[in-house]
Amino acid sequence: MSYFLQQLINGLSLGSVYALMSVGYSLVYSIMNFSNFAHGGVIMIGAYIGYFCLTLLGVPFFTAFILSGIGSGILAVSMERIVYRPLRKRNAPFLYFIISAMGASIFLENIVIASPIGPTFRSYPAVFSTSPIMIGGIALGRIDLLMFIISTLSLIGLMYIIEKTKIGLSIRATSYSIKASTLMGVNVDKVIFIIFLLGGLLAGLAGMLFGMKYIVYPQIGNITTKSFIAAVFGGLGSLPGAIIGSILLGLIETMTSGYLSSEYRDLIAFVLLIGVLIFKPTGLMGKTTEDKA
Amino acid sequence: MSKRFLTLISVVLIFTMIVTACSNGTGAPEEETIKIGWIGSLTGDQAVWGTCESNTVKMLIEEVNASGGILGKKVEGIYYDTKGDAAEAVNATKRLASQDKVVAIIGPNASGQAIAISSVLEEYKVPDISTVGTNPKVTVNDDGSVKEFNFRVCFIDPYQGAVAAGYAYDRLGLRNAAVLYDVASDYSQGFTEFFEKTFIEKGGKIVAKEGFKEGDVEFKPQLSKIKDANPDMILMPYYYKEVALSANQARELGIDAVLIGGDGWPSEQLMTMAADAIEGSYIVNHLDFNDPEVKPLQDKYNAKYNLPMELNGYMAHDAFLLLKAAIEDAGVADPVKIAESLTKVTVQGVTGTIKLSPEDHNPIGKEAAIVRVESADYIFQEKYGLQ
Repeated sequence: MSYFLQQLINGLSLGSVYALMSVGYSLVYSIMNFSNFAHGGVIMIGAYIGYFCLTLLGVPFFTAFILSGIGSGILAVSMERIVYRPLRKRNAPFLYFIISAMGASIFLENIVIASPIGPTFRSYPAVFSTSPIMIGGIALGRIDLLMFIISTLSLIGLMYIIEKTKIGLSIRATSYSIKASTLMGVNVDKVIFIIFLLGGLLAGLAGMLFGMKYIVYPQIGNITTKSFIAAVFGGLGSLPGAIIGSILLGLIETMTSGYLSSEYRDLIAFVLLIGVLIFKPTGLMGKTTEDKA
Repeated sequence: MSKRFLTLISVVLIFTMIVTACSNGTGAPEEETIKIGWIGSLTGDQAVWGTCESNTVKMLIEEVNASGGILGKKVEGIYYDTKGDAAEAVNATKRLASQDKVVAIIGPNASGQAIAISSVLEEYKVPDISTVGTNPKVTVNDDGSVKEFNFRVCFIDPYQGAVAAGYAYDRLGLRNAAVLYDVASDYSQGFTEFFEKTFIEKGGKIVAKEGFKEGDVEFKPQLSKIKDANPDMILMPYYYKEVALSANQARELGIDAVLIGGDGWPSEQLMTMAADAIEGSYIVNHLDFNDPEVKPLQDKYNAKYNLPMELNGYMAHDAFLLLKAAIEDAGVADPVKIAESLTKVTVQGVTGTIKLSPEDHNPIGKEAAIVRVESADYIFQEKYGLQ
């Protein structure tokens, strides 16, 4: 039993990492209908901002956290301005967006490698003790706990903004139809600005948490492939879907390696995911409305 | 639209033709220099090592040129990044062999890439000396025949795995081993296979064997399973990034087994990332970092690049020495003749005396250095070999 609980905690902790990252994908997808693969790059930059705030500036931990969120938010917004807005103004096909996103992601990775930061791995200074909290033979990592709490709080905050505020209303309206909401007087540019800002903020938090839990290196972005898959699994464009999909993916991966085989973890986990998508192609909580071409 | 696209394509094609034609033209006045290629990771997970290798080779080439070159000719180094990717390694090798016309290649450090480039080497008949490609198949085919143009200066995984098993069982008295290994890596698999074989032959037990894939950052599911099996030791035959992460996570789960690793561990960065977690671990390595014999090279490298010397630098150094001796022995900068000479010469490198066996192109009788991690430092224990 304690073994199962340990694996459950492992799964939830992994799932909460995926969740923080996957909402960024879902946010952008819900409005713009394309997968913003540059999100991984923003997460990576967020991790570096947090790292340098702690090591070079020596600011307190929570200040570094906020700075990292703000920095990534600014980066995400400026990327939207520079990369996506020109495409949007020309009504470019969505394929162009995806390709630009990939380009932006490669650009971010390589600019870090080429800069004095370089390709080396860096580890965060120990903010928390690495010795776990032991509860009856089950080890609960302090960083895992912090990560779970921060993920939950920021996701609740995000849901509040989307569901309860006026700007949230216009985001939801825009996600149904850009044209109709423009006609209703919604400022789509502003909505898009806000979703990139929110996505960037979360990316910064995710990056810093990731860096604290693991390490920082220019290829962190690659881990977001899995959170993207989690977002698809949960239903791209749906925030609760992204969160549930991420938690499930974390649990499936952990339980597969805990009870079946760690060698075939990805194989088994992703066959399961594909199985779900066969029966529910839009993901667990995806919108079923079709594009009216 | 499509017309414009076609025009664009043709312009690009014409441009390419002009560029290639030019480069062929200027490359023609030949054999002024001896060209040596280097391939390895300058970006990606293993960039630290690749950078150190290429820096070392650059430094050595400068020295050789300052003292008159090889066979009276200046040596020119050409360096390509493989990004840690086997397909990139194949491309880089092709380019070195067909366009740059190098006489020999040093690198890559990883077995997977070194195995991938074999067919290219054979096609263009250019020898390659791998630095730390320890998988047996780097120099021999599946049927056991030797690959004519693949060489190496390091010992091989079976040996490394067997040494780790022998040392753990005989010297440390460990009986129950768990293995965590990278299922996607030839290096890790080879190491594991021969560790298990020797450890079981000696009478030990493998109580758990778990896998992960390169790029993974979360090891707790596997480690929880290993913890459940209650081993005395965990074999971690993979590279330092994953070592740092998995060692930290093992300690976070409250596992206190001895960790044992191979030549993928030693790195200055491992210490900054996981010094506490790997305290008291044992490493099977190619050489000892505190050996007085390696100090001069270390100091020279530190002074020039202001970077710590990694294991790969020493191996690249020995590969270069061997190559230089082979070129001098061949008496002519011809790739095929150099390949023949590589098994004839004996050089005194910093990692030991190196003489390659003609049967399998591996160095003969190299002992491993057993190193223990103590207070964030690598403390040499003993030279340990298995017959």
